[in-house]
Amino acid sequence: MRAALLDGSTARDAALHSVHRVIVSELTGIACDVDEFILRDMTIAYCTGCFECWVRTPGICKATDAGHDVARAVIRSDLAVFLTPITFGGYSSELKKGLDHLIGLISPFFMKANGETHHKPRYSTYPRLIGVGVLPGPDSESEQIFTTLVGRNALNLHAPAHAAGVIRSGDSREAVGEAIRSLLAAAGVDH
Amino acid sequence: MSQSRVLLVIGSAKQSRSTSEALGTYLLDRLSERGFDAETLFLHRSLQRDYRVQAMLAASDRADILVLASPLYVDSLPYLATRALELIALHRNTRVKGKRQRLLAIVNCGFPEAQHTETAIAICRRFAREAGFEWAAGLGLGGGEAINGRRLRKRSGMVRNVVRSLDVTATALADGQAVPEEAARLMARPLMPTWLYTLAGSVRWRRQARAHGARQKLSDRPYEHTEG
Repeated sequence: MRAALLDGSTARDAALHSVHRVIVSELTGIACDVDEFILRDMTIAYCTGCFECWVRTPGICKATDAGHDVARAVIRSDLAVFLTPITFGGYSSELKKGLDHLIGLISPFFMKANGETHHKPRYSTYPRLIGVGVLPGPDSESEQIFTTLVGRNALNLHAPAHAAGVIRSGDSREAVGEAIRSLLAAAGVDH
Repeated sequence: MSQSRVLLVIGSAKQSRSTSEALGTYLLDRLSERGFDAETLFLHRSLQRDYRVQAMLAASDRADILVLASPLYVDSLPYLATRALELIALHRNTRVKGKRQRLLAIVNCGFPEAQHTETAIAICRRFAREAGFEWAAGLGLGGGEAINGRRLRKRSGMVRNVVRSLDVTATALADGQAVPEEAARLMARPLMPTWLYTLAGSVRWRRQARAHGARQKLSDRPYEHTEG
């Protein structure tokens, strides 16, 4: 089994760095190879919305940078994990820098799902998706937005299963480990 | 009494003629007619250099109304808009709260249904709260590709409800009133039947791919794992 961990933390997010280590530990503990992407340390141009990854070089962004490595690792994985400080309920800009390039993994053509229009899949299989957000304290509005966002991503990125969870920055190592194991179980990742 | 100011922040990364720009500019023109001092910033420029970031932060401090016009990328605001909101919120947390300032968000997506923009608008609403803006409204538009950056002019044709929505919004903002829910309802109305939008989209993608010599590659899977 292979996982792609996209870490959207900033250099100052000590709590997220700790959560990152726990995620890797839990995944390697179930014999999962993990491709780790610390997005803040990577040179990735922001998506310009040119759609050339759909109509000029289908499936590949025109920017020749580490965004290719991220997209390739995600689509070749069995599980994609998005780790982020919850930012106004959503993802950090560091995570968005990487995620915006994932549109090349889907087709420009449309299909119907759940009564809505979505893009057709480009690939035959897609990874399961887990979103892990970190907040300084209880915040039901942010948690609601975050959970909805991960669910929307799962729908649009054709994830066969998904789970979203929120961790408090003061949570213990044990509590974080338990939360990650719960998320893996909810996404159908076997221990 | 000083003139009221409106700042339009465009979250699209396109260099010119984005749908975000078309929507925001129409609203700005209506507010200018009502005496507002209007300013427009493109985030693909404003975030390039530190002095431009400082100029953006100063402009956001001066504004009575901040309008964020942005496309939807992967179910939320794109990197540029997300980064700008982070910077503005950080900046405002270090300053003394001043005058009443309102935030209006206009989010357009490439899906025919406007409901895809709801999460991004919720993020904007939450930003307003954290950064000390009064939430004016969130206007979500589906089928933004049909506008394709063309300037909005009058209440006719495909964009009649879009224009009506922005007119209602401009009047309320200029009068210092709450933006009626009608504005969001009008903006959310489909520009055309879903079947027509998706058909036109398919034709457009194929035509563009043909122009790039990629017509036969549209379904390529360049990262597909091949054993051995």
